[in-house]
Amino acid sequence: MAVSLRRARPGAPPNAPVAFHAPLFQELVTGLDETERHVVLDLGSASTPMLALLGRSRTRVEIADLAHFGGIDRLNTAEPGAALASAAESLLPIPLPDNAFDLVFCWDLPNYLTLSALSALMNAIGHRARPGALAHALIFYSERDMCEHPGRFVPTADGELINYNPRHASIAAPRYSPEDLGKSMGRFVLDRARLLSTGMQEFLFRL
Amino acid sequence: MFERVKRGDDTIEAPEASRPESDKSFGSLRSKVTGRSSEVAVIGSSIQINGDLRGDEDLRIEGNVSGTVELKNSVLTIGKEGKVKAGVYAKSIAVDGETKGDLYATDRVSVHVNARVQGNIIAPKVSIEEGAHFKGSIEMDPAAVEKALGKTTAGIVDKTVSQHKPGKTLDSKAAPKKTAKDADTNVNPPAKTA
Repeated sequence: MAVSLRRARPGAPPNAPVAFHAPLFQELVTGLDETERHVVLDLGSASTPMLALLGRSRTRVEIADLAHFGGIDRLNTAEPGAALASAAESLLPIPLPDNAFDLVFCWDLPNYLTLSALSALMNAIGHRARPGALAHALIFYSERDMCEHPGRFVPTADGELINYNPRHASIAAPRYSPEDLGKSMGRFVLDRARLLSTGMQEFLFRL
Repeated sequence: MFERVKRGDDTIEAPEASRPESDKSFGSLRSKVTGRSSEVAVIGSSIQINGDLRGDEDLRIEGNVSGTVELKNSVLTIGKEGKVKAGVYAKSIAVDGETKGDLYATDRVSVHVNARVQGNIIAPKVSIEEGAHFKGSIEMDPAAVEKALGKTTAGIVDKTVSQHKPGKTLDSKAAPKKTAKDADTNVNPPAKTA
């Protein structure tokens, strides 16, 4: 199970989730230009700390919450081709003028998608994103197992992350390589990657 | 149709710990009501309403409501049993149950644990508790929030907006810089005009 062992909060129970440093995430959220409007697509769950962090700038946040609204199953079970593309489209908000995505937070969701499902999703997102848009993802890399369900990542005020996912059963992690991801992120291309203390690899892709 | 729950000087408020979560979050607002009684209308769990619901008093919904809910100067609580499929306009909105539709509040929207919300939230302050399920958009551009709320408070509600699918709402024109200072819950700083 990928849980950081560093920096437990004072007074927290021994098994309480702890914050871990994700430099690319931190750079993204702290570097938002407060004078610019940003449209953010969050494929994970909404949390007040994340909204507070993004709310420092003029932001519109679209929450897709694939894990809790059936998105993962819909993508993984759709027939490849038109059905899969349609499933991916249906999970995204209806496009509005001047609301192309600038930032996409994938969290650890790519680990729970087949590569073809991930490819369809990122293709659909790519069509709704601005040129230069960034996509952030956390991939299980050195850990062989991962939680049965995607994490619920909540940032601290200084931009570190805490995974509040309850510890259910573990399943084998697909451990996608950068090459796998590079072929499955639609028009997004790898910009940077960092290995984290949690055993995850943090990726930043750019359109 | 509605059951009335009396609150005020002639009643004893439940202790903070024994009150529902949604009551606690609006406790400070209620504590300001002194010198007179205040009442909360309740739509019970067996009640189903299809159509527009308007009023000027606090309301708790435990039943099923479809259509539009407008309580522009009041507090709306959607209880754990409540299911609302409507565009909702209120001063404050607290959700413990289920909603489908856009939520407009001139003060705040609170989505509590185990609530299930699909739609867009437009309010100066938004909080989403751990364990709540939300799908839709949250507008944090002060100018866009002000514009949307300005329309609703002026009574120029575009009814089509409330019927939009999640993710389909606000205009997004450029606006002057605003920053959020209260990062814990006030994700939308109060909008100001120049």
